[in-house]
Amino acid sequence: MSRRHSPEETKIALHGVVEEMYKRMMKGEPPTMTLPVRSKTNIGFDKKYGVFKYGKKKTIRDATSLGSAKQLLRALHVVEFIEEMIDAGKSSTLREMYYISEAWGLGHFNSQNESNNLAEDLEIVTKCLREDFKLRPEEDGARIIGNVTINELNRRGEWMRINARDDVGDSGYGLPYNVENEKIQFLEHDVKFIMAIETGGMFDRLVENGFDEEWDCALLHLKGQPARSTRRFLKRMNEEWDLPVVVFLDGDPWSFRIYASIAYGAIKTAHISEYLATPSAAYIGITPDDILAYDLPSDDLSKNDIQALKAELTDPRFADGMWQDRINLMLEMGVKSEQQSLAKYGLDYVTDTYLPEKMAEAGL
Amino acid sequence: MSVAKKMAGKGKQIAISEFFEKNKHFLGFDTLTRSLITAVKEGVDNALDACEEARILPTIRIRVEKKDSERDIIRLSMQDNGPGIPMKALENVFGKLLYGSRFHAIRQTRGQQGIGITGVVMYSQLTTGKPTAVISKIIGEETAVKVDIGLDTRKNKANKSNQQRITWMENDELVIHGVKITTDLKAKYQRGRQSIYQYLRMTSIVNPHAEIFFTDPDGETTHFPRVSNNLPREVIAIKPHPAGMHLGQLQRMLKDSDERKMTSLLRHNFCGVSQRGAKDLLTAADIDEGRKPSGLKTEDVSNLLEAMIGIRTGANGKPIKLLPPPTNCLSPIEELLIKKGLSKTIDSRFISTLTRAPNVSQGNPFQVEVGLIFGGNMPADKPVEILRFANRVPLMYQQGGCLLTKTIESVDWRQYGLDQAGGRGVPKGPAAILVHLASTNVQFTSEAKEALSDNEEVAIEVRKAILEMGRGLRRHLEKQKKRAKTKEKFELINDILPAIAEKSASILKLPVPDLSGSITKIMSAVICQEETTWDIEAKITKVNVRIFNYTARARSYTILATWPERNAEMTDNERGGRKEAFGLWAWKLETLDPGQHTDITFSLTGLEKGDWAETEIFYRGAGDIIGASKLDEKMLEEIRRQEEINNDIEMSEPSVLTLETTTMGEVGGGSISTPQVENDSNDEKDTDSISVESANQENTSEESAEKTNNSLSDEVMSKTADLFTQQTLFSGGDEQ
Repeated sequence: MSRRHSPEETKIALHGVVEEMYKRMMKGEPPTMTLPVRSKTNIGFDKKYGVFKYGKKKTIRDATSLGSAKQLLRALHVVEFIEEMIDAGKSSTLREMYYISEAWGLGHFNSQNESNNLAEDLEIVTKCLREDFKLRPEEDGARIIGNVTINELNRRGEWMRINARDDVGDSGYGLPYNVENEKIQFLEHDVKFIMAIETGGMFDRLVENGFDEEWDCALLHLKGQPARSTRRFLKRMNEEWDLPVVVFLDGDPWSFRIYASIAYGAIKTAHISEYLATPSAAYIGITPDDILAYDLPSDDLSKNDIQALKAELTDPRFADGMWQDRINLMLEMGVKSEQQSLAKYGLDYVTDTYLPEKMAEAGL
Repeated sequence: MSVAKKMAGKGKQIAISEFFEKNKHFLGFDTLTRSLITAVKEGVDNALDACEEARILPTIRIRVEKKDSERDIIRLSMQDNGPGIPMKALENVFGKLLYGSRFHAIRQTRGQQGIGITGVVMYSQLTTGKPTAVISKIIGEETAVKVDIGLDTRKNKANKSNQQRITWMENDELVIHGVKITTDLKAKYQRGRQSIYQYLRMTSIVNPHAEIFFTDPDGETTHFPRVSNNLPREVIAIKPHPAGMHLGQLQRMLKDSDERKMTSLLRHNFCGVSQRGAKDLLTAADIDEGRKPSGLKTEDVSNLLEAMIGIRTGANGKPIKLLPPPTNCLSPIEELLIKKGLSKTIDSRFISTLTRAPNVSQGNPFQVEVGLIFGGNMPADKPVEILRFANRVPLMYQQGGCLLTKTIESVDWRQYGLDQAGGRGVPKGPAAILVHLASTNVQFTSEAKEALSDNEEVAIEVRKAILEMGRGLRRHLEKQKKRAKTKEKFELINDILPAIAEKSASILKLPVPDLSGSITKIMSAVICQEETTWDIEAKITKVNVRIFNYTARARSYTILATWPERNAEMTDNERGGRKEAFGLWAWKLETLDPGQHTDITFSLTGLEKGDWAETEIFYRGAGDIIGASKLDEKMLEEIRRQEEINNDIEMSEPSVLTLETTTMGEVGGGSISTPQVENDSNDEKDTDSISVESANQENTSEESAEKTNNSLSDEVMSKTADLFTQQTLFSGGDEQ
């Protein structure tokens, strides 16, 4: 498991990246950066952690093409920038780094995507976390409602005790980008499970219907594809409080991927899957069966949807027979449905009928 | 007799004014916007033709004013600096339909049937009831004639009024010679694709020797400058060729003839008919050689026609062998001038122009020219602009129904780098395609003369020319791509790699590594960078060729570059080198050690901007060079051999040269048309053909005879140069 690195360790690890380039040039060769292939063709199941991690396939980024050479130069600028931040005791967001790169001349980033990817590349190669690099994501942390109590270190450096039911409004407790122990401590809870929900509309529906109180659970709004901090928070609750996690999503190809990133690990962050993924998380719906069984209003699959489903068929995370059946069924039906389509049967139907039935099926 | 009087004297009249009053749409006066353009067109055509015939560099001024906006009355005035029209001929030129010296002569002219300017006078009268004011001044005369001309369409006669002699001043300056007409007509002025502006722009492209001023109704004046001081080659009238005959025409010729014998009639009144040819024709038609032409019966005439067009054959069962008509009656614009015309009006990255060798269709000589211009500011997502011309006259309407458009549409442009849905239709892209047909008999789909009718021989010629342009474009685009790639590599080793070295050294606090090894590994090739630039200050084209050796071995090469030897002088060539072949210069380079580079530079004078934008580089030596092609020695030998033949030709008498064409109606195959120039020294030397040629010689000055000579050898040379651009003929040394 990736662990936190001290500033000195982080610097040494980053220097390793620079040394690889330097040594190659001293030998009269083009400089290179070696990193794992970051695609579904190079992820495999890690039995030890029960999650999907990068395999052994390596890609060598060498300076024989202009694009790759520019990537190497950018990496060097980022390394230098991180060192400066470590030495100065500062941190910056990934977006700030993107803007700061304007001053890097030939090594500047053309898009924020490039800078995000490069930060991930460095994490992978150095086995450090971006928190070690003093880089913060821009990403929007999720919110949680329910009877859980945590301690958060506020910006005045004081610990604040917060109960995510009694101390918050209807929008719940907003997760900070850093949910590690140095920032968030888990104190106590009185819930039986956590339900992670894809859309804000459904989250608000369950809150309004008092689902969390009635079922003694915490509700977590994922905000679409969940941010790293959201997945990490879920993982910690699951591990430290031993709470079951159920996932309630739309019924479309993209929701399958959200579930996979929560339970199995995301392809982009497979280097730290054991740190982000919750293998025991249960998928509740909406399944393709539900669309039929509950006769839900649906939309036709788009070209992109179909392409996504077909790609999932060859994704090792969906190699399981149950997933293959689900994906093939959706392809056959040619339709998808949203969580909120359950409103067809009234506003209470989801809390009174659908979720109880589905949870019983899941054994909760 | 003055030139003007001589020209006017050739006219004959045909009375059909009344017919045309009823059919004004045929004449291009069907809509208010079109009427105005047609009026300008007729005036400009007349002016250009008159100037050309009188060997004057034309300056034309067009002014459009809105006289009465509510009633759509526009005042149009057009002034040229031509030879002027003699007083007596004025009413014929402006007041008789189908009056024109050209109607009875066979040669390439703009206004082919003289409907022209009279139509404008008539339209003006029909729509405003007013006559057209004409001022004409002949060279050498003290005063000008000013007269108002109206039209009696029933009698096909002009009504002259207010005739007087005046001292003609324009802008306080005495006009030396020329014609100015001012006419009011019901018309609408508009801008856009079908506008006076576009018409004049197109006219200016194909008439680089003309200077045109256009003042629009807002008073804004556009100047289309003159980019060449050479007048188009003087066109020579030829006699009709038997293969192009029609029955009525033949009957009339025979009836009107004073010849006493059929053989002399055939030899003296047709081109391409030798003594022997005349005898063969008569034998095939069963007509006695000695018969009097005017005494032939209808049946005889039709037999003779059948022999002429190849239905009746000779004893060998084949059509009677006739010589092709002479082609010096055509006046192509020529590649370089089209290039100049295009580049002055359109900003671009690539221009290619091509003038095909003359060909013959049904006894009518014709010649096709095309130009392709690509890049620059032209929109990339719109259909390409098609610029159609017939005998230097822009064709602006009925684009879809025109043979030239159809031929462009039939080409699959996708293979040449333009977008085209389904590989058919007008392609899309930042390009303009110019097609010019020069012919003694341009066949239009209608009297409006806006679209060429189908003609297979013409279509084949156009297609061949277009395909060659297309191949040029493809080569250009491929070269651009390669150039971009090479540029990237240089950015990598010159900018990025040193930055990587410095940054990594500074992070690790170690010395900056030497990069020569890394650079060699990254490039691992010999690279040629060619830059051809236009020096605005010095008005010269500069060429720089830099060869880098990024391999681990020492290399030695001979570098060869193409250059426009026909049109330019090579200067500032410090390395010296030597001439390898016509248009190909060679430099032997010193040995290039690994990591070294060397330059070859030279300048070209005598060219203008855009004339020479890309220099082709070849090499001789072991090991490929990226950015250059390996020279094919066999090809070079072939080129040298060709050159020798051409030199021999230049030595010999040019007047008896004939460009060989295949039998009437057929067109030679082969994609590279290398004209087979033949010294006509057969025993069966055609006496008649010589007499025609020498008659022509009488008319032409020494200078124009020389020009013909030059343009012929130019043509051969241009084909030689073409061999260089046929990249397929060279082994592709620059493929990696």
